[in-house]
Amino acid sequence: MSRCRRIIQWFFFLLMFIVPALNMLEIYFIKGTYISMDVGELAVSDPLAVLQAVFASHEIKAVMIASVTLPLLIAVLLGRVWCSWACPYYLILDGIEALRKKLGLKPLKPVYSESGPSKANFFRYALLISGFILVGAAGVPLLYLISPPSVLSSQAVMLIKHFTLTAEFIFIPIVLIIETFFVYRFWCRFFCPTGTVLSIFKSSKGLRVEYSGSCSGCSRCVKACPMVLDPRKDGASSQCHNCGECVSICPDNRKTDTLKFRIK
Amino acid sequence: MSLFDSIKNALNENPFSGHYKINRMRPPGSVDEKRFMKLCVRCSRCVEVCPYDVVKRSTKTEYGEIGTPFIYAEEAGCHLCMKCTSVCPTGAIDPKVTEMEQTSIGIARINEETCNNYIYDRQESGEEADGMAALCSSCFNVCPLQHEAIRLENGLTPVITEKCTGCGLCVERCPTRPRSISIIPKDMPDAATAGYYHFLKRMGK
Repeated sequence: MSRCRRIIQWFFFLLMFIVPALNMLEIYFIKGTYISMDVGELAVSDPLAVLQAVFASHEIKAVMIASVTLPLLIAVLLGRVWCSWACPYYLILDGIEALRKKLGLKPLKPVYSESGPSKANFFRYALLISGFILVGAAGVPLLYLISPPSVLSSQAVMLIKHFTLTAEFIFIPIVLIIETFFVYRFWCRFFCPTGTVLSIFKSSKGLRVEYSGSCSGCSRCVKACPMVLDPRKDGASSQCHNCGECVSICPDNRKTDTLKFRIK
Repeated sequence: MSLFDSIKNALNENPFSGHYKINRMRPPGSVDEKRFMKLCVRCSRCVEVCPYDVVKRSTKTEYGEIGTPFIYAEEAGCHLCMKCTSVCPTGAIDPKVTEMEQTSIGIARINEETCNNYIYDRQESGEEADGMAALCSSCFNVCPLQHEAIRLENGLTPVITEKCTGCGLCVERCPTRPRSISIIPKDMPDAATAGYYHFLKRMGK
């Protein structure tokens, strides 16, 4: 499963560069960035984009509602799969983790603690709310200057079309340096506004990791979880983004269904 | 031309795109500037879809405009293909605008002091006039709405009419430096409201 996830991640990573290239060849079937995209006649937008525009301008348009329907439906049914299966920034983080392992550096990942998830949750929701208040006060959708997938994707367009990068790209190296040397996946865990908006819509009935109740207790799943959660407890929490690392690593799964994905 | 003027001109010819202070317009069909800044989510879709590569991403940070689309008419004017109007996810660029006649990015203004055609006209009628006198008519020749948005008075002097869409193709082709024709973005009709766009202030009008 992790192999399958990696292929999809690479597909979305490359799509970021392929779409503008196709547009330059005047193929307009698929156009847009990860903030908003048109596939054929279907318009898809990041819910964060639309929410920001609504907050800043105090108006709601039919176009906006229509374009967020599909992403929200996916979020309700499948949880935050965008984060772990598609986000280009997440792929870079996976790469950094693998690189650190290859170089033999000590893993940055903190030890799981009981209060960790609720602290992280409080932090990111507080940040999101204060971000929206700021957006509403300033009247400018500022959160997009600090959202890695949107910055990456819009800068990919600039790179392909004009061979330049604009100033907001500076944000990416800064967070990557912090991610590489100081704090383990701090952006996804504590800050990411896109992920936080998606986790609001994650329902407890949608795709989630479910624990059967008893296992051999090797706690390999806890070690594998990139979000520093305990999959046996936090499988349905809004921080879990259904990457499936714990499900594929669990040794007990070979005998009985101990840690499995479940819908409904 | 004094030294100060030539320095100013050199700065106006700044090779770093995104630093033009005049002739800087929003894509065709944009809503008014205030609402545009609120609605635009900086998704780069208009930049991506533009087949002529004239819509560019702003790099300036004033008023949080970073990432918003601009057309820098001195580099390249808009060809009014109207591809960008349909892609905007939040309606900052109005999707109902589909014909080039509907757009009003701004309106062109001719600086009659420096325009080659006007100088020629003045010299013909026996007036004193400095500078290059020529029947260049570049702005007239390049206009997509020829005879409607721009016409040649007496076959000599270009005159902008109300129908001007402000696409900026004339600015791109104007041979004089600084340009004798500029786009005044809509809602900035006189020097007092020109603000950031100091072409009017430079002309003293």
